[in-house]
Amino acid sequence: MAFVFNFPDVGEGIHEGRVVEWLVAEGDTVVEDQALVKVETDKAVVELPSPHSGTVLRLHAAADADILVGDPLVTIGEAGEKVPEDFAPVAEAAPAPALQPAEIEAPGPAVGSRRPLATPRTRSLARKLGVDLKSVQGSGSGGRITDEDVERAAEGGSPAAPTPPVGTVAATADGEVERVPITHLRKIIAGAMRTAKHTAAHVTHVDEADVTDLVAHYRRAKPVIEERTGVRFTLLPLFIKALVATLQKHPIFNASVDEERGEILYKKYYNIGVAVDTPEGLIVPVIRDADRKDMVELAAEVADKAERARNRQLGLDELKGGSCTITNIGPLGGVFATPIINVPELAIIGLHAIKERPAVVDGEIVIRKMMYLSVSFDHRYIDGAEGARFMSDMVRLVSEPMLLIARL
Amino acid sequence: MVVGSVSRGCQVVVIGAGPGGYVAAIRLAQLGKDVILVEKEARLGGVCLNVGCIPSKALIHVADLAHEVLGAEDMGLTVSSLAIDLPKMVEWKDGIVDRLTSGVAFLCEKNGVEVVQGAAEFVSDRSLTVSSEDGRFEIEFEQAVIATGSRPMALEGFEHDGERIIGSTEALSLQAVPEKLVIIGAGYIGLELGSVYAKLGSQVSIVEFLPKVAPDLDPEVGKALTRQLKKLGVKLHLSHRAESFEAGDPSVVVARGPKDDELRLEADVVLMTVGRVPNSEGLGLEAAGIQIDDKGFITVDDRMRTSAPGIYAIGDVTGGALLAHKAYQEAKVAAEVIAGEPAAFDNVVPAVIYTDPEVAWVGLGEEEAKEQGFNVVTGTFPFKASGRAMSLDATDGFVKAVADADTKQLLGVVAVGRGVSEFIGEATLALEMGAFLEDVALTIHPHPTMSEAFQEAVEAALGRAVHMVNKS
Repeated sequence: MAFVFNFPDVGEGIHEGRVVEWLVAEGDTVVEDQALVKVETDKAVVELPSPHSGTVLRLHAAADADILVGDPLVTIGEAGEKVPEDFAPVAEAAPAPALQPAEIEAPGPAVGSRRPLATPRTRSLARKLGVDLKSVQGSGSGGRITDEDVERAAEGGSPAAPTPPVGTVAATADGEVERVPITHLRKIIAGAMRTAKHTAAHVTHVDEADVTDLVAHYRRAKPVIEERTGVRFTLLPLFIKALVATLQKHPIFNASVDEERGEILYKKYYNIGVAVDTPEGLIVPVIRDADRKDMVELAAEVADKAERARNRQLGLDELKGGSCTITNIGPLGGVFATPIINVPELAIIGLHAIKERPAVVDGEIVIRKMMYLSVSFDHRYIDGAEGARFMSDMVRLVSEPMLLIARL
Repeated sequence: MVVGSVSRGCQVVVIGAGPGGYVAAIRLAQLGKDVILVEKEARLGGVCLNVGCIPSKALIHVADLAHEVLGAEDMGLTVSSLAIDLPKMVEWKDGIVDRLTSGVAFLCEKNGVEVVQGAAEFVSDRSLTVSSEDGRFEIEFEQAVIATGSRPMALEGFEHDGERIIGSTEALSLQAVPEKLVIIGAGYIGLELGSVYAKLGSQVSIVEFLPKVAPDLDPEVGKALTRQLKKLGVKLHLSHRAESFEAGDPSVVVARGPKDDELRLEADVVLMTVGRVPNSEGLGLEAAGIQIDDKGFITVDDRMRTSAPGIYAIGDVTGGALLAHKAYQEAKVAAEVIAGEPAAFDNVVPAVIYTDPEVAWVGLGEEEAKEQGFNVVTGTFPFKASGRAMSLDATDGFVKAVADADTKQLLGVVAVGRGVSEFIGEATLALEMGAFLEDVALTIHPHPTMSEAFQEAVEAALGRAVHMVNKS
């Protein structure tokens, strides 16, 4: 008996998506839980597993098609079984006579899952440089991927460098213009940013911290921590800890607002969103219960989630439920920025570049490691004085590592 | 010794000292880790060294030697009498095993790996207990590698007693050649040991549930093996389900055939080789949060990571091909991943069956390649046309190359014949390097060797074999 698998409700609030890629073809045999299709939803690309074993009789949505929850995706049954034509592919608009059976061809050959053409040495290099060989065009004999190809791909950008957007180039009076469709993710980001800017009364407060001591402690501990745990340790967990401690003192920065009922929701948990720059756009995975994790756990989790965010492998539950967000803009340069709040949260903390700057200590001009920290907050619910106090507390914690430890 | 809650710490604990475990431990030590290697048995080396690959190959070699000498009359070699002294043979084999296992112990020691004897059981994802006759203690670790291997599968109705019903372990240490040997299961172990005892003089019958020998391989492989088994006088009962065992003198194995017909086979010894199951019980995997699949194999990714962070698994216990060389590679991957290197298992795995003739293969078979959507071209060179094979009086078999007809990239190689195990590594290298047919065709192979057949098979796939007539 053929079974029609409809686009399921994959998570709270998700009601539409886009078919990115079919992982099976009509005629393929599939087993239960085998991934059928990649679907892009609000923030993640999810693989939908097959609920049944059987033969794929019909794919109902073409790659790139937009689908709504409940739309038929695929019919699974026995090889040679007939499928009622009322689930005809979306592309075929003309209504077919009801219940006229359609012959399904016997299982045909699927497309070969070909290994990238590269030697073990080149494959190892690709892993080292974080290059996905499937996205590299080989320049060697017969299309072999050479070490140089991998190095070029690594220089060209972050892991899994996106293929350049394919658009249509047209000549206009002003010159050539390429029209590229806006991706689903970019539309989502655009919508969220507009909502944030329209609803929240954004204001940004910036303060300066002397992190010379913090960096010195970090440098000493880093090799020891990495050797003992195998986890790449960064400065970010120290700032997450400082943020959590500051949030505990200023709970309004860890809150959201239920405007309909006129209530402020103070979160008793500390789920910190960490903004990640991916080739396809901004994604904010959430580090849950950051107050209950040690710094090594935080470092490992941030690294794992950032990598999976770049590969679009995060589950929807890993993108939801944040109570406050941190964005680490420092490595990309600049003096400071005014980040936009990740609504419905009320605040976002910006970490800006650590630079050696002259500072006055005990009446002397000395070179210190200085950084700007910013907090953008919703002035509707948080006053400017509170913002200043919040930032000054966080600055104190990162300037004096002993205080940071004491507050943990 | 006092039994107490003695607790020790190390960076990495490796459980099981077979080919996976000892290689992982040594590589980890080389990478600067503080390693404890826990082994349940008294001797290192696991199944492979003690009761698997190495001892079976030793016996296979002696049996082949006897068989060859006895069949060499056409070559002008007549043996008036050949005595087979099985206890002596087993003693020689045991000597090899001793040398190798003590060699592993030596390497562990020289690399600074601490070896501990006992059975390990996880208490949590960061600690385990080791129990032995001497007592019990706890080890706290930062990372663990599980390499506990596999063991023969049992079959209901055939309870292992080590004398009348034996497994491969006992088959490698028999003190007398059984007159009538019944083997249940025509997998590679059954076929290898069946050939050994047929050559040493047993009347061998093999009962196999499936309708074919080597059902997953190229049909030509099964044909060649069946032909050779017939020559050795081995009776092959395919499509037969072994049902029961009646002890007696001789005992009787009852099997049921495809038409519900009953087959009764007399047996002095019954050798069970119906498959292998993972050693994943009793390890406390749940306490550490390690997931297994429905067959009991530990689930891992290409970096050998289990579902529990910091805990890795390698070798037979993770399933796939149950082969020592796969475990070696996985061991190195796990060790390097633990040390923070960007390693991953992305290899093709060659395989060998030490039957007579040997069977070796790597990469995709013809059918597999077609199923994966390749437009396939093949080339086959029979050893009948090889000068080297003739000079060895070993013309049975062939080499077959499978390639993508569109790009001419080599996809796989299957070989049947004397000594093909020695050059399947070359074909494996070709696949890893992404060789095209031309690459192999333009590589000089030494003459006269069996490996020339690989080059000829590839040339045949290109339609330009020299030492045989090309298919038009």
